[in-house]
Amino acid sequence: MLSLKSFKKAAFTGCLCMAVSLPLFAADAPSSKQYSGQTITVLVPPWGTLPKDMVDRFKGDTGISINMQTLGWDEIRAKLITSLVAGISPADVVELDWSWVGQFGAAGWFTPLDKMVSAELWSDIPSRKIFEYKSQTLAVPYNNDFRLMIINKAHFDHAGIHQPPKTLDKLLADAKALKASGASKYPIALPLSATEGTATAWYLLTKAYGGDLFDKNSKPLFDAAGSPGYKALQFIEQALKDGLIDPASTGMTDVQVQDAFKAGQYSIDLAGWPGNLSTYNDKEKSKIAGVVSGALVPSSTGASNSFGLVEGLAIPKKSEHKEAAAEFIKWWMKADNQTQVFNELSDLPTRTSVLNALIQQKKLYDGAVLLEQIKGVGPLFAGGAPEWYPELSRAASTAINQLAKGQVSVGDAAKQIADQTVKAMNR
Amino acid sequence: MTNLLHPGRFISPKQSEANIGLMLALPIALVMFLLVFFPVCVTLWDSLHRVAPMRAGTPFIGLKHYWDLFHDDNVRAAALNTSVYVVFTVLLETVFGVFVAVLLNTVKVGRKWLLGAVILPWALPPIVNALIWLWIYNPNYGVLNNFLLSTGVLNERHVWMNDRFVALMLISLVHVWRMMPLTAVIVLAALQSIPHSLYEAAELDGAGNWGKFRTITLPLIASAVAIALTQSTLFAFNLFDEAWVLSGSSLDTRTVLIQVYMSAFQDMQFSYGMALSVIVMFLSLAISLFYVLRIYRETRFD
Repeated sequence: MLSLKSFKKAAFTGCLCMAVSLPLFAADAPSSKQYSGQTITVLVPPWGTLPKDMVDRFKGDTGISINMQTLGWDEIRAKLITSLVAGISPADVVELDWSWVGQFGAAGWFTPLDKMVSAELWSDIPSRKIFEYKSQTLAVPYNNDFRLMIINKAHFDHAGIHQPPKTLDKLLADAKALKASGASKYPIALPLSATEGTATAWYLLTKAYGGDLFDKNSKPLFDAAGSPGYKALQFIEQALKDGLIDPASTGMTDVQVQDAFKAGQYSIDLAGWPGNLSTYNDKEKSKIAGVVSGALVPSSTGASNSFGLVEGLAIPKKSEHKEAAAEFIKWWMKADNQTQVFNELSDLPTRTSVLNALIQQKKLYDGAVLLEQIKGVGPLFAGGAPEWYPELSRAASTAINQLAKGQVSVGDAAKQIADQTVKAMNR
Repeated sequence: MTNLLHPGRFISPKQSEANIGLMLALPIALVMFLLVFFPVCVTLWDSLHRVAPMRAGTPFIGLKHYWDLFHDDNVRAAALNTSVYVVFTVLLETVFGVFVAVLLNTVKVGRKWLLGAVILPWALPPIVNALIWLWIYNPNYGVLNNFLLSTGVLNERHVWMNDRFVALMLISLVHVWRMMPLTAVIVLAALQSIPHSLYEAAELDGAGNWGKFRTITLPLIASAVAIALTQSTLFAFNLFDEAWVLSGSSLDTRTVLIQVYMSAFQDMQFSYGMALSVIVMFLSLAISLFYVLRIYRETRFD
């Protein structure tokens, strides 16, 4: 079981390692050509889809061809379930999100990778524990995602605000000032559709209010008025009423909200992805390049909190090319490949050594802020995502969507989430 | 006639014809059994058990799923939404379908081109249809908002899907836009089979347009309308694409079929989803039976 303390310690210790470059591990040894001639299918979301030159380079290194398939994150889960229930492997390497580990682990669909990956490599990936189910590691982490706030500095300067807000009250005040100055009509970017991104934004706000969603006995804490989760719902409702969040967000996913942010429509990407810092600063992909910076998630307690949303690569048991698939995952984990993935796709490296190298080479946008935020990053569930997590996520996103449309009150939304989650726990 | 299988046993010509008919129907009966009846029976059986990949075994639980369904708030909300879709879409599709069919029937020149244009929405894949309307309804750059803003009807852009009733109506309209052509085609075929002599006789008796429509047209297209009502109702009960594309899994517009999908493929509670789909099947069959018994009549012109 992963405790908060050990998670933070692993991430913090690794990322603060200074000065001397760490030696390459045996994980970066030349790839094997043992499976040359095989073709594997890789099913990943857009930010995991390798560019053509990397695909070609993999083939050159191993002789294995890749059929790259891209699907939206929400759609991948549906495809995985429908295929695996039918006894078919949708691909040889698939995305496995931290939130699916409990449910998919219970279904027994994925190949344990403990022995397919070297011990040296595992020791360089502290987030491995997030993908453990009953002592078996079901995926190798490839995207070291967590949440932090990202702001449009030009908007802030226009409104005469020179420091990002550190508290939630200041956040609301700054957002009102941004709106009043005309910098943006709806300053706060937050997805509010009935999708996963909405639920994770609420989790972040709950953390910002200094609390957790459940106690150690999995009893919901957020349905009590005054609890951090309850306050997080009130924050969303109030921000909408004050015109600080776009009402059209009820139909937008997190990716669509990010697209609007990088088009300059919003001022604060409240539940931002650290990997997006490089995307937002890329002139070819963003209209706000050069005026974006990361900032610590505001907090009501003084300490900025966030949580990890790590993504991994897994091999379904039904795959007919498991060894070739393992070669692909090991190749992805090589230092130079993790670096290139970061440069091309903005996926934050999961290997501590690679992350350190990027920080030392000053290639990580707002590296100091990222390091500071990582101190406050912990797992959302100390014991890993439970089997009923998808139902919690859906209950949360549905209720918040209804709250945002004015169809339910905060109390009703909180009760709805709690009732449906408890029902799922007891099923 | 001699029975080749049993020489000496006499088969009447009628029995022989019947045997041939049975043999000719056997392939389709087999297909129907494998693709329809067998899956329905399996679904019914599994709905009485707990089938969930995350849990070992499939124990018999009887009617527990059905009991839980009737107490599930999400299912109730989805059922209410579906009822609204069914009433609204069937009504509009039937009224406009008959209207369009009558119009097309009066057109003498260029009817086939008009018919092609009318059928186009129905010919589009439902997802494509829904995506087009998603862009039209988009609050930021959609045609609907831009048109209403430019004509002064709106002062600021409106988020159409934020109001539950409006969202249900807009999704219904998209479904009607797609399915109305089918009703029009069915009714048009019936209209074209009505002998013109009946209308001439009615005119001689002094009947006006409305009288002719009421006393001749409507009764003689009743069977076609019943068929169109049946298919409209079934498609409305199974509404998925439009609601999913336009509004995702939002509870205020979620249909029963979306709820089935979410129960089975997101919650991985397959038997729960099966039980819900069984209820939908029986409801839609019951309504179709009502149409057939009350509205359909065998049409004769003599």
